[in-house]
Amino acid sequence: MALSNRDRARLSLGIQAAIFAGIVVVLIIIIDWTAVQRSFFNLEPVMAMFPEVITVGLWNTVRYTFFGFLFGLIGGTVLALMRIASFPVYRWFATLYIEFFRGIPAILVFIALGFGASLAFGLNLSTLQTASTALAIVGAAYIAETIRAGLQAVPKGQMEAARALGMPAWRAMLTIQIPQAFRIVLPPLTNEAILLTKDSSLIFVVGMAGSAAELTKMGRDGITMYQAGMTPLVVAGVCYLLITVPLSILARRMEERSPTNSSRRRHKKKATASPVSSGVA
Amino acid sequence: MSEVSGNPGQMITDPAGVVIDGLHKSFGDVEVLKGIDMTVSPGQVVCLIGASGSGKSTLLRCVNRLEDPDAGRITVGQFEATHEDVNLDAMRRQIGMVFQQFNLFPHLSVLENCTITPRRVLKHSKDAAEEEALHHLELVGLKHLADRRPAQLSGGQQQRVAIARALTMQPSLMLFDEPTSALDPETVGEVLSIMRDLARAGMTMLVVTHEMGFAREVADRVVFLDNGLVVEEGPAHQVIGAPTQPRTQDFLRRVLNPLGE
Repeated sequence: MALSNRDRARLSLGIQAAIFAGIVVVLIIIIDWTAVQRSFFNLEPVMAMFPEVITVGLWNTVRYTFFGFLFGLIGGTVLALMRIASFPVYRWFATLYIEFFRGIPAILVFIALGFGASLAFGLNLSTLQTASTALAIVGAAYIAETIRAGLQAVPKGQMEAARALGMPAWRAMLTIQIPQAFRIVLPPLTNEAILLTKDSSLIFVVGMAGSAAELTKMGRDGITMYQAGMTPLVVAGVCYLLITVPLSILARRMEERSPTNSSRRRHKKKATASPVSSGVA
Repeated sequence: MSEVSGNPGQMITDPAGVVIDGLHKSFGDVEVLKGIDMTVSPGQVVCLIGASGSGKSTLLRCVNRLEDPDAGRITVGQFEATHEDVNLDAMRRQIGMVFQQFNLFPHLSVLENCTITPRRVLKHSKDAAEEEALHHLELVGLKHLADRRPAQLSGGQQQRVAIARALTMQPSLMLFDEPTSALDPETVGEVLSIMRDLARAGMTMLVVTHEMGFAREVADRVVFLDNGLVVEEGPAHQVIGAPTQPRTQDFLRRVLNPLGE
């Protein structure tokens, strides 16, 4: 038995492929396809859900997530700056905030906001306000850590160069460090956006009017409305993918195009003799 | 200065002097500067030489307060750098600094690197800032690369942009922190020649360098630092050509003749 390394690798790959194919075949055989089709891929409720699932459900999910992410981004940036501030009270507050809101389930924030805000402050928040505020509160905690990492990944010399030019600290932060940090963390930030998109479904705990329903709510309502199995949830799931997959593609594109990743073309050929040097040579 | 530059329009009109008095600086338990006294007259070029760890860079960084001295006094032109009420940003606008690692802003074009501070801090108009920046980029021979990103430039070109960026603030003092140490050998010359031109135009310059040839040709004075103290200083030909202190002799022997022949 003298198998070469290459043969052994090929054999191992072949076995893996055979096992995988086997599992698929067994699943195809044992699954009750008519039942699956009836409850998950039933065309009738699918047709009935259009176009509201897009015009209302998808639209609301995008709206809640967009504002949640936007305010989460602002809050997260502020928290990140507090986290690296020299004033200790800022650092403590930011650390406390981040640990707390990363540590509790997001659904608790939705409940606290949905029922607590009116009790505590007499506020009557709309569904959009509740959902995007809750997402912003939770998102800021995650985003803060991402942005902090980005800020710290910008080489120290950048800040030094900006300060040496006479930029005040805030100006150097705003024009030099933060833009570079954002470039670095764009891919993980897109991840946060995807997570928030899915977390927007948690608004169901508060309840909402039909016109404010987002995807998950529409899916759940569809189940009771059409009495045709789980198909409405499948439709909602596909709609989530319509949001999240393009976001992922966008993130990958940006990652490829980031300046740190760009091919470093070097211009070996010296520039035309500088007028200064020729003047004195 | 012995010679006038070929670009009279570039004559430095208002060079600043530097006075350093009893400067001390520690990092943790390590005392890096142990009482430095030195003076740079307006328009003078002073090269700081010495082994790594001798405190040259720290000394340079104390002058524009990138490091905070523990004790001692520094004045730069009319600014008292070590005074607690000094307007650091205003002072730094008078002091150009060139770093070993260039520290160009990678997210901005070459031109934007040179215009961002005049525009955002000095509130110059876009047109005025660009005209000024292009003028300085032309002086360093890189006007044609104004739209490139720093990453697309060679090390020598990046360092020349860094010099142009500093000059657009019209400084009256330039600090160079080992400006050629990170360069490929074949690009060292283009940076040194620009520094020489700047010196001849009358700029006050404080240069940390290992380029003994440059120091010998351009410096009015050379200061040798060892272990946080000024060991020897004087005219370049004297300190580099005929050092009197054993430690200076030993350092120069190793730098000029690394194989010890």
